[in-house]
Amino acid sequence: MNLLRTEFRKIFPYRTFWIILAVYVLLLLLILYTSSSIQINNKALGDETFQLPGLWMRLTYVAHFFNLLLGILVIVLITDEYSFRTIRQQVIDGLSRAEVVLAKFYVVLALAVFSTVFILVLGLYFGLVYSSDKSMQALFSQIDYLPYYFVQAVAYMTLAMLFAFIVRKSGLAIIAFIAYTKIVEPLIHFNLPDHIDKYFPMKALDSLTPMPGQDLFGQLTSPIEQLSPAMATLPALLYVGLFLLLTYAVLKMRDL
Amino acid sequence: MAIVLSIDNLSKKYGSLKAVDSLSLQVEEGSIYGLLGPNGSGKTTTLGMVLDVIQPTGGSFSWFGDGISKATKQRVGAILETPNFYPYLTAKRNLQVIADTKGADHQNIAKMLDLVGLGTRSNTTFKGFSLGMKQRLALAAAMLNDPEVLVLDEPTNGLDPQGIAEVRDLILRIAAQGKTIILASHLLDEVEKVCTHVAVLRTGKLVTDGPVGNILSAKEQLIVSAEYLAPVLQLLERLPYIAQFAQEKDYVILTLQEGYSSTDLNRDMFAQGVVLSQLVARRKSLEKQFLEIIKS
Repeated sequence: MNLLRTEFRKIFPYRTFWIILAVYVLLLLLILYTSSSIQINNKALGDETFQLPGLWMRLTYVAHFFNLLLGILVIVLITDEYSFRTIRQQVIDGLSRAEVVLAKFYVVLALAVFSTVFILVLGLYFGLVYSSDKSMQALFSQIDYLPYYFVQAVAYMTLAMLFAFIVRKSGLAIIAFIAYTKIVEPLIHFNLPDHIDKYFPMKALDSLTPMPGQDLFGQLTSPIEQLSPAMATLPALLYVGLFLLLTYAVLKMRDL
Repeated sequence: MAIVLSIDNLSKKYGSLKAVDSLSLQVEEGSIYGLLGPNGSGKTTTLGMVLDVIQPTGGSFSWFGDGISKATKQRVGAILETPNFYPYLTAKRNLQVIADTKGADHQNIAKMLDLVGLGTRSNTTFKGFSLGMKQRLALAAAMLNDPEVLVLDEPTNGLDPQGIAEVRDLILRIAAQGKTIILASHLLDEVEKVCTHVAVLRTGKLVTDGPVGNILSAKEQLIVSAEYLAPVLQLLERLPYIAQFAQEKDYVILTLQEGYSSTDLNRDMFAQGVVLSQLVARRKSLEKQFLEIIKS
Protein backbone atom coordinates (compact mmCIF):
# COMPACT_ATOMS: atom_id res chain seq x y z
CA MET A 1 0.00 0.00 0.00
CA ASN A 2 3.01 2.26 0.44
CA LEU A 3 3.44 1.92 -3.31
CA LEU A 4 -0.02 3.40 -3.86
CA ARG A 5 0.70 6.30 -1.50
CA THR A 6 3.82 7.13 -3.50
CA GLU A 7 1.83 6.90 -6.75
CA PHE A 8 -0.73 9.33 -5.32
CA ARG A 9 2.08 11.73 -4.44
CA LYS A 10 3.03 11.79 -8.11
CA ILE A 11 -0.49 11.86 -9.53
CA PHE A 12 -2.45 14.30 -7.37
CA PRO A 13 -0.47 17.44 -8.28
CA TYR A 14 -0.53 16.44 -11.97
CA ARG A 15 -2.91 18.60 -13.97
CA THR A 16 -3.12 16.23 -16.96
CA PHE A 17 -4.48 13.53 -14.65
CA TRP A 18 -7.31 15.75 -13.42
CA ILE A 19 -8.13 16.95 -16.92
CA ILE A 20 -8.55 13.42 -18.29
CA LEU A 21 -10.56 12.41 -15.22
CA ALA A 22 -12.76 15.50 -15.56
CA VAL A 23 -13.40 14.71 -19.23
CA TYR A 24 -14.45 11.20 -18.17
CA VAL A 25 -16.84 12.49 -15.52
CA LEU A 26 -18.30 15.24 -17.70
CA LEU A 27 -18.86 13.02 -20.75
CA LEU A 28 -20.66 10.44 -18.66
CA LEU A 29 -22.83 13.10 -17.01
CA LEU A 30 -23.54 14.72 -20.37
CA ILE A 31 -24.73 11.45 -21.91
CA LEU A 32 -27.02 10.71 -19.00
CA TYR A 33 -28.34 14.26 -18.89
CA THR A 34 -28.98 14.28 -22.62
CA SER A 35 -30.79 10.96 -22.59
CA SER A 36 -32.96 12.17 -19.73
CA SER A 37 -34.15 15.19 -21.69
CA ILE A 38 -34.66 13.62 -25.11
CA GLN A 39 -38.33 13.44 -26.01
CA ILE A 40 -39.61 10.62 -28.15
CA ASN A 41 -43.33 10.60 -28.95
CA ASN A 42 -43.93 13.21 -26.27
CA LYS A 43 -42.40 10.90 -23.70
CA ALA A 44 -39.08 11.68 -22.03
CA LEU A 45 -36.59 8.98 -22.94
CA GLY A 46 -35.16 9.33 -19.44
CA ASP A 47 -38.32 7.89 -17.97
CA GLU A 48 -37.58 4.71 -19.89
CA THR A 49 -33.82 4.66 -19.43
CA PHE A 50 -33.75 5.28 -15.72
CA GLN A 51 -36.28 2.67 -14.69
CA LEU A 52 -34.97 0.45 -11.93
CA PRO A 53 -33.73 -2.25 -11.78
CA GLY A 54 -32.77 -2.27 -15.50
CA LEU A 55 -30.96 1.02 -14.93
CA TRP A 56 -27.81 -0.74 -13.68
CA MET A 57 -27.46 -2.73 -16.87
CA ARG A 58 -28.03 0.33 -19.07
CA LEU A 59 -25.69 2.46 -16.97
CA THR A 60 -22.77 0.02 -17.00
CA TYR A 61 -23.29 -0.57 -20.73
CA VAL A 62 -22.98 3.17 -21.36
CA ALA A 63 -20.03 3.46 -18.97
CA HIS A 64 -18.13 0.64 -20.67
CA PHE A 65 -17.52 2.84 -23.71
CA PHE A 66 -15.55 5.19 -21.50
CA ASN A 67 -13.13 2.50 -20.33
CA LEU A 68 -11.13 3.58 -23.34
CA LEU A 69 -10.62 6.96 -21.68
CA LEU A 70 -9.52 5.33 -18.44
CA GLY A 71 -7.10 3.20 -20.48
CA ILE A 72 -5.68 6.32 -22.11
CA LEU A 73 -5.22 7.89 -18.66
CA VAL A 74 -3.26 4.83 -17.53
CA ILE A 75 -1.15 4.93 -20.70
CA VAL A 76 -0.35 8.62 -20.11
CA LEU A 77 0.68 8.00 -16.50
CA ILE A 78 2.98 5.11 -17.44
CA THR A 79 4.57 6.55 -20.59
CA ASP A 80 5.28 9.75 -18.63
CA GLU A 81 7.53 7.71 -16.37
CA TYR A 82 9.50 6.72 -19.45
CA SER A 83 9.72 10.22 -20.91
CA PHE A 84 10.74 11.72 -17.55
CA ARG A 85 13.08 8.70 -17.07
CA THR A 86 11.76 8.46 -13.56
CA ILE A 87 11.03 4.75 -13.98
CA ARG A 88 14.75 4.20 -14.34
CA GLN A 89 15.51 6.34 -11.31
CA GLN A 90 12.98 4.44 -9.20
CA VAL A 91 14.57 1.11 -10.04
CA ILE A 92 17.98 2.60 -9.20
CA ASP A 93 16.55 3.92 -5.94
CA GLY A 94 15.26 0.55 -4.82
CA LEU A 95 12.11 -0.67 -6.57
CA SER A 96 12.16 -4.10 -8.15
CA ARG A 97 10.55 -4.56 -11.55
CA ALA A 98 7.70 -6.47 -9.93
CA GLU A 99 7.05 -3.49 -7.64
CA VAL A 100 7.00 -1.14 -10.64
CA VAL A 101 4.22 -3.26 -12.19
CA LEU A 102 2.43 -3.61 -8.87
CA ALA A 103 2.48 0.14 -8.18
CA LYS A 104 0.80 0.84 -11.52
CA PHE A 105 -1.69 -1.97 -10.98
CA TYR A 106 -2.68 -0.36 -7.68
CA VAL A 107 -3.37 2.85 -9.61
CA VAL A 108 -5.52 0.81 -12.01
CA LEU A 109 -7.46 -0.63 -9.07
CA ALA A 110 -7.88 2.81 -7.52
CA LEU A 111 -9.20 4.24 -10.80
CA ALA A 112 -11.60 1.29 -11.18
CA VAL A 113 -12.88 1.85 -7.63
CA PHE A 114 -13.35 5.51 -8.42
CA SER A 115 -15.30 4.91 -11.64
CA THR A 116 -17.42 2.16 -10.06
CA VAL A 117 -18.33 4.37 -7.10
CA PHE A 118 -19.05 7.22 -9.50
CA ILE A 119 -21.44 5.01 -11.46
CA LEU A 120 -23.04 3.82 -8.21
CA VAL A 121 -23.69 7.43 -7.22
CA LEU A 122 -25.05 8.25 -10.69
CA GLY A 123 -27.32 5.20 -10.58
CA LEU A 124 -28.66 6.04 -7.14
CA TYR A 125 -29.30 9.64 -8.13
CA PHE A 126 -30.99 9.05 -11.50
CA GLY A 127 -32.81 5.97 -10.20
CA LEU A 128 -34.25 7.73 -7.18
CA VAL A 129 -35.20 10.81 -9.21
CA TYR A 130 -36.67 9.24 -12.36
CA SER A 131 -37.62 5.63 -11.62
CA SER A 132 -41.26 4.90 -10.86
CA ASP A 133 -40.34 1.91 -8.71
CA LYS A 134 -38.03 3.10 -5.92
CA SER A 135 -38.24 0.07 -3.64
CA MET A 136 -35.13 -1.52 -2.15
CA GLN A 137 -35.86 -4.58 -4.27
CA ALA A 138 -35.80 -2.55 -7.47
CA LEU A 139 -32.76 -0.60 -6.37
CA PHE A 140 -30.50 -3.50 -5.51
CA SER A 141 -31.77 -6.58 -7.34
CA GLN A 142 -29.56 -6.02 -10.37
CA ILE A 143 -26.74 -4.13 -8.75
CA ASP A 144 -24.39 -7.04 -9.53
CA TYR A 145 -23.71 -5.25 -12.82
CA LEU A 146 -21.47 -2.92 -10.82
CA PRO A 147 -18.93 -5.57 -9.74
CA TYR A 148 -18.97 -6.88 -13.34
CA TYR A 149 -18.23 -3.37 -14.53
CA PHE A 150 -15.42 -3.10 -11.97
CA VAL A 151 -13.74 -6.26 -13.30
CA GLN A 152 -14.15 -4.96 -16.83
CA ALA A 153 -12.61 -1.58 -16.03
CA VAL A 154 -9.64 -3.25 -14.29
CA ALA A 155 -9.08 -5.55 -17.26
CA TYR A 156 -9.29 -2.72 -19.83
CA MET A 157 -6.82 -0.63 -17.87
CA THR A 158 -4.46 -3.57 -17.34
CA LEU A 159 -4.41 -4.12 -21.10
CA ALA A 160 -3.68 -0.40 -21.55
CA MET A 161 -0.86 -0.80 -19.04
CA LEU A 162 0.62 -3.66 -21.07
CA PHE A 163 0.55 -1.51 -24.20
CA ALA A 164 2.14 1.41 -22.34
CA PHE A 165 5.04 -0.71 -21.04
CA ILE A 166 5.60 -2.31 -24.46
CA VAL A 167 5.40 0.84 -26.59
CA ARG A 168 6.73 3.42 -24.04
CA LYS A 169 5.64 6.42 -26.16
CA SER A 170 2.26 7.87 -25.23
CA GLY A 171 0.90 8.64 -28.69
CA LEU A 172 1.89 5.32 -30.21
CA ALA A 173 0.71 3.37 -27.18
CA ILE A 174 -2.73 5.03 -27.30
CA ILE A 175 -3.03 4.29 -31.03
CA ALA A 176 -1.96 0.67 -30.50
CA PHE A 177 -4.42 0.25 -27.63
CA ILE A 178 -7.38 1.66 -29.56
CA ALA A 179 -6.39 -0.14 -32.76
CA TYR A 180 -6.26 -3.45 -30.94
CA THR A 181 -9.48 -3.07 -28.98
CA LYS A 182 -11.56 -1.52 -31.74
CA ILE A 183 -10.10 -2.80 -35.01
CA VAL A 184 -7.72 -5.74 -34.75
CA GLU A 185 -9.73 -7.94 -32.43
CA PRO A 186 -13.11 -7.26 -34.09
CA LEU A 187 -11.47 -8.24 -37.41
CA ILE A 188 -10.33 -11.51 -35.85
CA HIS A 189 -13.84 -12.09 -34.48
CA PHE A 190 -15.18 -11.62 -37.96
CA ASN A 191 -13.25 -14.61 -39.22
CA LEU A 192 -13.94 -16.95 -36.33
CA PRO A 193 -17.08 -18.75 -35.20
CA ASP A 194 -18.83 -17.30 -32.14
CA HIS A 195 -18.23 -20.29 -29.90
CA ILE A 196 -14.47 -19.69 -30.14
CA ASP A 197 -14.19 -15.91 -30.28
CA LYS A 198 -16.49 -15.38 -27.31
CA TYR A 199 -13.43 -16.20 -25.18
CA PHE A 200 -11.25 -13.56 -26.86
CA PRO A 201 -10.21 -10.73 -24.51
CA MET A 202 -12.32 -7.89 -25.85
CA LYS A 203 -15.37 -10.02 -26.43
CA ALA A 204 -15.16 -11.66 -23.02
CA LEU A 205 -14.69 -8.26 -21.37
CA ASP A 206 -17.56 -6.69 -23.26
CA SER A 207 -19.79 -9.60 -22.21
CA LEU A 208 -19.49 -8.28 -18.65
CA THR A 209 -21.71 -5.32 -19.56
CA PRO A 210 -24.10 -6.73 -22.16
CA MET A 211 -26.09 -4.49 -24.45
CA PRO A 212 -29.57 -3.85 -23.05
CA GLY A 213 -32.31 -5.46 -25.10
CA GLN A 214 -29.92 -7.77 -26.88
CA ASP A 215 -32.15 -10.78 -26.23
CA LEU A 216 -34.92 -9.09 -28.14
CA PHE A 217 -32.53 -8.11 -30.88
CA GLY A 218 -31.28 -11.67 -31.09
CA GLN A 219 -34.79 -12.99 -31.61
CA LEU A 220 -35.28 -10.73 -34.59
CA THR A 221 -32.01 -11.64 -36.33
CA SER A 222 -29.80 -14.62 -35.64
CA PRO A 223 -28.91 -14.91 -31.95
CA ILE A 224 -25.38 -13.77 -31.04
CA GLU A 225 -23.56 -16.29 -28.93
CA GLN A 226 -21.76 -14.63 -26.06
CA LEU A 227 -20.90 -15.35 -22.46
CA SER A 228 -23.18 -14.24 -19.66
CA PRO A 229 -21.60 -11.69 -17.29
CA ALA A 230 -21.18 -14.37 -14.63
CA MET A 231 -19.54 -16.74 -17.09
CA ALA A 232 -17.25 -13.99 -18.43
CA THR A 233 -15.87 -13.06 -15.00
CA LEU A 234 -13.38 -15.89 -14.74
CA PRO A 235 -11.91 -15.41 -18.24
CA ALA A 236 -11.71 -11.67 -17.54
CA LEU A 237 -9.78 -12.23 -14.32
CA LEU A 238 -7.49 -14.69 -16.09
CA TYR A 239 -6.81 -12.04 -18.73
CA VAL A 240 -5.92 -9.53 -16.00
CA GLY A 241 -3.41 -12.02 -14.63
CA LEU A 242 -2.04 -12.71 -18.11
CA PHE A 243 -1.63 -8.98 -18.92
CA LEU A 244 0.19 -8.45 -15.62
CA LEU A 245 2.54 -11.35 -16.26
CA LEU A 246 3.27 -10.14 -19.79
CA THR A 247 3.93 -6.62 -18.47
CA TYR A 248 6.38 -8.02 -15.94
CA ALA A 249 8.07 -10.16 -18.60
CA VAL A 250 8.48 -7.13 -20.88
CA LEU A 251 10.07 -5.11 -18.05
CA LYS A 252 12.29 -8.00 -17.05
CA MET A 253 13.61 -8.56 -20.56
CA ARG A 254 14.33 -4.98 -21.53
CA ASP A 255 16.79 -2.35 -20.40
CA LEU A 256 15.22 0.66 -18.74
CA MET B 1 40.07 -2.15 2.89
CA ALA B 2 36.71 -3.70 2.15
CA ILE B 3 35.63 -3.95 -1.47
CA VAL B 4 32.47 -1.94 -2.13
CA LEU B 5 31.92 -2.80 -5.77
CA SER B 6 33.47 -5.68 -7.61
CA ILE B 7 32.96 -6.05 -11.36
CA ASP B 8 34.01 -9.27 -13.01
CA ASN B 9 34.20 -9.68 -16.79
CA LEU B 10 31.12 -7.55 -17.32
CA SER B 11 29.99 -7.20 -20.94
CA LYS B 12 27.17 -5.54 -22.80
CA LYS B 13 26.51 -6.04 -26.48
CA TYR B 14 24.09 -4.04 -28.60
CA GLY B 15 23.86 -6.20 -31.69
CA SER B 16 27.43 -6.47 -32.92
CA LEU B 17 28.54 -3.41 -30.95
CA LYS B 18 30.35 -4.18 -27.73
CA ALA B 19 29.49 -1.23 -25.48
CA VAL B 20 31.30 -2.82 -22.55
CA ASP B 21 33.82 -5.57 -23.19
CA SER B 22 34.88 -7.95 -20.40
CA LEU B 23 35.38 -5.20 -17.87
CA SER B 24 36.80 -6.12 -14.47
CA LEU B 25 37.52 -3.69 -11.66
CA GLN B 26 37.22 -3.25 -7.94
CA VAL B 27 36.28 -0.21 -5.93
CA GLU B 28 37.62 -0.01 -2.41
CA GLU B 29 35.79 1.47 0.50
CA GLY B 30 36.56 5.15 1.07
CA SER B 31 38.03 5.79 -2.35
CA ILE B 32 36.87 8.29 -4.92
CA TYR B 33 36.91 6.13 -7.98
CA GLY B 34 36.91 7.82 -11.37
CA LEU B 35 35.69 6.12 -14.52
CA LEU B 36 37.48 8.09 -17.19
CA GLY B 37 36.94 7.81 -20.89
CA PRO B 38 35.77 9.70 -23.94
CA ASN B 39 32.08 9.88 -24.80
CA GLY B 40 30.81 6.47 -25.88
CA SER B 41 33.50 4.52 -24.06
CA GLY B 42 30.97 2.57 -21.96
CA LYS B 43 31.00 4.50 -18.67
CA THR B 44 27.24 5.02 -18.41
CA THR B 45 26.50 1.51 -19.71
CA THR B 46 28.76 0.08 -17.00
CA LEU B 47 27.07 2.11 -14.29
CA GLY B 48 23.64 1.23 -15.72
CA MET B 49 24.45 -2.46 -15.39
CA VAL B 50 25.67 -2.29 -11.79
CA LEU B 51 22.62 -0.14 -10.95
CA ASP B 52 20.16 -2.78 -12.23
CA VAL B 53 18.69 -0.83 -15.15
CA ILE B 54 20.67 -2.43 -17.99
CA GLN B 55 20.90 -6.20 -18.34
CA PRO B 56 24.48 -7.40 -18.76
CA THR B 57 25.18 -9.70 -21.71
CA GLY B 58 27.83 -11.47 -19.69
CA GLY B 59 29.89 -11.34 -16.52
CA SER B 60 28.86 -10.43 -13.01
CA PHE B 61 29.17 -7.80 -10.31
CA SER B 62 28.56 -7.54 -6.59
CA TRP B 63 27.92 -4.74 -4.12
CA PHE B 64 29.40 -5.26 -0.65
CA GLY B 65 29.91 -8.91 -1.64
CA ASP B 66 26.20 -9.40 -2.44
CA GLY B 67 24.06 -9.29 -5.55
CA ILE B 68 21.89 -6.28 -6.23
CA SER B 69 18.76 -6.16 -4.06
CA LYS B 70 16.56 -3.71 -2.23
CA ALA B 71 18.99 -3.85 0.70
CA THR B 72 22.09 -3.10 -1.37
CA LYS B 73 20.29 -0.41 -3.38
CA GLN B 74 19.51 1.45 -0.18
CA ARG B 75 23.22 1.64 0.61
CA VAL B 76 23.95 3.26 -2.77
CA GLY B 77 22.80 6.67 -3.95
CA ALA B 78 23.08 7.12 -7.68
CA ILE B 79 22.49 9.53 -10.54
CA LEU B 80 22.64 8.12 -14.05
CA GLU B 81 23.08 10.59 -16.92
CA THR B 82 20.65 13.49 -16.61
CA PRO B 83 18.76 14.38 -13.41
CA ASN B 84 15.44 12.52 -13.63
CA PHE B 85 12.48 14.12 -11.85
CA TYR B 86 8.80 14.86 -12.38
CA PRO B 87 8.85 18.28 -14.09
CA TYR B 88 5.50 19.40 -12.65
CA LEU B 89 6.39 18.55 -9.02
CA THR B 90 8.23 20.94 -6.72
CA ALA B 91 11.72 20.09 -5.50
CA LYS B 92 10.30 19.07 -2.14
CA ARG B 93 7.59 16.82 -3.58
CA ASN B 94 10.07 15.19 -5.92
CA LEU B 95 12.25 14.35 -2.95
CA GLN B 96 9.22 13.03 -1.05
CA VAL B 97 8.58 10.53 -3.85
CA ILE B 98 12.23 9.46 -3.73
CA ALA B 99 12.29 9.29 0.06
CA ASP B 100 9.32 6.88 -0.13
CA THR B 101 11.15 4.65 -2.58
CA LYS B 102 14.37 4.68 -0.62
CA GLY B 103 12.72 4.30 2.75
CA ALA B 104 14.47 7.52 3.83
CA ASP B 105 13.36 9.73 6.69
CA HIS B 106 11.29 12.61 5.29
CA GLN B 107 12.99 14.94 7.77
CA ASN B 108 16.17 14.63 5.71
CA ILE B 109 14.53 16.41 2.79
CA ALA B 110 14.89 19.95 4.12
CA LYS B 111 18.40 19.17 5.36
CA MET B 112 19.56 17.90 1.98
CA LEU B 113 17.97 20.82 0.12
CA ASP B 114 19.90 23.15 2.39
CA LEU B 115 23.11 21.20 1.86
CA VAL B 116 22.95 21.67 -1.92
CA GLY B 117 21.84 25.28 -1.60
CA LEU B 118 18.23 24.81 -2.70
CA GLY B 119 16.63 25.41 0.68
CA THR B 120 14.89 28.56 -0.49
CA ARG B 121 13.72 26.96 -3.75
CA SER B 122 12.03 23.90 -2.28
CA ASN B 123 8.61 24.98 -3.57
CA THR B 124 9.75 25.68 -7.12
CA THR B 125 8.72 23.10 -9.70
CA PHE B 126 11.54 21.08 -11.24
CA LYS B 127 10.91 22.42 -14.75
CA GLY B 128 11.61 25.94 -13.47
CA PHE B 129 15.13 24.99 -12.37
CA SER B 130 18.33 25.87 -14.19
CA LEU B 131 20.59 23.00 -15.21
CA GLY B 132 22.89 23.67 -12.27
CA MET B 133 19.98 23.54 -9.84
CA LYS B 134 18.76 20.30 -11.43
CA GLN B 135 22.19 18.74 -10.96
CA ARG B 136 22.28 19.85 -7.34
CA LEU B 137 18.77 18.51 -6.73
CA ALA B 138 19.95 15.18 -8.16
CA LEU B 139 22.83 15.22 -5.67
CA ALA B 140 20.40 15.92 -2.84
CA ALA B 141 18.23 13.02 -4.02
CA ALA B 142 21.19 10.66 -4.20
CA MET B 143 22.23 11.53 -0.64
CA LEU B 144 18.73 11.43 0.81
CA ASN B 145 19.12 8.35 2.96
CA ASP B 146 22.76 8.96 3.81
CA PRO B 147 24.14 6.12 1.61
CA GLU B 148 27.61 4.63 2.01
CA VAL B 149 28.30 4.89 -1.70
CA LEU B 150 27.52 7.65 -4.18
CA VAL B 151 27.50 6.90 -7.90
CA LEU B 152 27.68 10.06 -9.99
CA ASP B 153 27.56 10.13 -13.78
CA GLU B 154 29.05 13.31 -15.23
CA PRO B 155 27.86 15.41 -12.29
CA THR B 156 29.33 18.64 -13.63
CA ASN B 157 28.14 18.19 -17.21
CA GLY B 158 26.75 21.42 -18.60
CA LEU B 159 27.49 23.54 -15.53
CA ASP B 160 29.16 26.93 -15.55
CA PRO B 161 32.60 27.26 -13.92
CA GLN B 162 31.12 28.35 -10.60
CA GLY B 163 28.66 25.46 -10.64
CA ILE B 164 31.46 23.02 -11.46
CA ALA B 165 33.53 24.33 -8.56
CA GLU B 166 30.55 24.03 -6.20
CA VAL B 167 29.73 20.48 -7.19
CA ARG B 168 33.37 19.38 -6.92
CA ASP B 169 33.64 20.99 -3.55
CA LEU B 170 30.48 19.19 -2.48
CA ILE B 171 31.87 15.86 -3.67
CA LEU B 172 35.08 16.36 -1.73
CA ARG B 173 33.12 17.31 1.41
CA ILE B 174 30.99 14.18 1.09
CA ALA B 175 34.07 12.04 0.54
CA ALA B 176 35.66 13.55 3.63
CA GLN B 177 32.85 11.92 5.64
CA GLY B 178 34.34 8.56 4.67
CA LYS B 179 31.92 7.76 1.86
CA THR B 180 32.91 5.94 -1.27
CA ILE B 181 32.28 7.82 -4.50
CA ILE B 182 32.20 6.38 -7.99
CA LEU B 183 32.44 9.15 -10.55
CA ALA B 184 32.13 8.80 -14.31
CA SER B 185 33.64 11.62 -16.28
CA HIS B 186 35.15 12.44 -19.62
CA LEU B 187 37.05 15.31 -18.04
CA LEU B 188 40.59 14.39 -17.19
CA ASP B 189 41.06 17.48 -15.12
CA GLU B 190 38.01 16.61 -13.01
CA VAL B 191 39.22 13.08 -12.30
CA GLU B 192 42.69 14.32 -11.44
CA LYS B 193 41.35 16.99 -9.08
CA VAL B 194 38.75 14.88 -7.33
CA CYS B 195 39.58 11.18 -7.56
CA THR B 196 41.94 8.92 -5.64
CA HIS B 197 41.64 6.01 -8.08
CA VAL B 198 40.93 5.90 -11.77
CA ALA B 199 40.00 3.38 -14.42
CA VAL B 200 40.45 4.49 -18.01
CA LEU B 201 37.97 3.08 -20.53
CA ARG B 202 38.15 3.08 -24.28
CA THR B 203 35.50 1.49 -26.55
CA GLY B 204 34.21 -0.54 -23.65
CA LYS B 205 37.56 -1.97 -22.64
CA LEU B 206 39.60 -1.23 -19.54
CA VAL B 207 42.81 0.44 -20.67
CA THR B 208 44.42 0.89 -17.30
CA ASP B 209 43.46 1.38 -13.67
CA GLY B 210 45.05 2.21 -10.34
CA PRO B 211 45.69 5.15 -8.02
CA VAL B 212 45.45 8.47 -9.82
CA GLY B 213 49.06 9.30 -8.97
CA ASN B 214 50.33 6.18 -10.75
CA ILE B 215 48.19 6.42 -13.83
CA LEU B 216 48.17 10.10 -14.57
CA SER B 217 51.36 11.50 -13.12
CA ALA B 218 54.00 8.78 -12.81
CA LYS B 219 54.85 8.56 -16.44
CA GLU B 220 56.97 11.61 -16.51
CA GLN B 221 59.47 12.22 -19.23
CA LEU B 222 63.12 12.53 -18.39
CA ILE B 223 65.55 14.62 -20.32
CA VAL B 224 69.16 13.65 -19.89
CA SER B 225 72.34 14.94 -21.43
CA ALA B 226 76.02 14.27 -20.92
CA GLU B 227 79.32 15.32 -22.35
CA TYR B 228 79.34 12.25 -24.57
CA LEU B 229 75.97 10.75 -25.48
CA ALA B 230 77.25 7.46 -26.94
CA PRO B 231 77.83 5.65 -23.59
CA VAL B 232 74.48 7.00 -22.33
CA LEU B 233 72.64 5.53 -25.30
CA GLN B 234 74.48 2.22 -24.90
CA LEU B 235 73.51 2.01 -21.26
CA LEU B 236 69.88 2.95 -21.93
CA GLU B 237 69.70 -0.02 -24.33
CA ARG B 238 70.59 -2.34 -21.50
CA LEU B 239 68.65 -0.92 -18.56
CA PRO B 240 65.49 -3.03 -18.17
CA TYR B 241 63.19 -0.33 -16.82
CA ILE B 242 63.48 2.12 -19.69
CA ALA B 243 60.15 2.19 -21.53
CA GLN B 244 61.44 4.14 -24.51
CA PHE B 245 64.06 6.69 -25.42
CA ALA B 246 64.95 8.88 -28.34
CA GLN B 247 67.85 11.16 -29.08
CA GLU B 248 67.13 14.75 -29.86
CA LYS B 249 70.02 16.98 -30.87
CA ASP B 250 72.29 16.98 -27.82
CA TYR B 251 69.95 15.34 -25.31
CA VAL B 252 67.88 12.18 -24.88
CA ILE B 253 64.19 12.05 -24.02
CA LEU B 254 63.09 8.91 -22.26
CA THR B 255 60.24 7.46 -20.22
CA LEU B 256 60.58 4.92 -17.43
CA GLN B 257 58.43 1.94 -16.65
CA GLU B 258 56.01 2.11 -13.77
CA GLY B 259 57.60 2.10 -10.31
CA TYR B 260 60.92 3.64 -11.34
CA SER B 261 62.04 7.19 -10.94
CA SER B 262 64.80 9.50 -12.03
CA THR B 263 66.73 8.48 -8.89
CA ASP B 264 67.13 4.92 -10.19
CA LEU B 265 68.40 6.16 -13.51
CA ASN B 266 70.86 8.56 -11.96
CA ARG B 267 72.22 5.89 -9.61
CA ASP B 268 72.71 3.32 -12.36
CA MET B 269 74.33 5.80 -14.72
CA PHE B 270 76.79 6.84 -12.06
CA ALA B 271 77.51 3.21 -11.11
CA GLN B 272 78.46 2.54 -14.73
CA GLY B 273 80.77 5.52 -14.78
CA VAL B 274 78.50 7.79 -16.80
CA VAL B 275 78.14 11.25 -15.35
CA LEU B 276 75.12 13.15 -16.52
CA SER B 277 75.36 16.83 -17.06
CA GLN B 278 71.60 17.26 -17.04
CA LEU B 279 68.69 15.25 -15.64
CA VAL B 280 65.32 16.91 -15.88
CA ALA B 281 61.96 15.34 -15.05
CA ARG B 282 59.28 16.85 -17.20
CA ARG B 283 55.65 16.03 -16.66
CA LYS B 284 53.71 15.49 -19.81
CA SER B 285 50.59 17.56 -20.05
CA LEU B 286 47.57 15.64 -18.77
CA GLU B 287 45.72 15.93 -22.04
CA LYS B 288 48.67 14.48 -23.90
CA GLN B 289 48.89 11.57 -21.48
CA PHE B 290 45.18 10.94 -21.70
CA LEU B 291 45.20 10.93 -25.47
CA GLU B 292 48.19 8.57 -25.40
CA ILE B 293 46.45 6.23 -22.97
CA ILE B 294 43.26 5.98 -24.96
CA LYS B 295 45.07 5.77 -28.30
CA SER B 296 47.55 3.03 -27.50
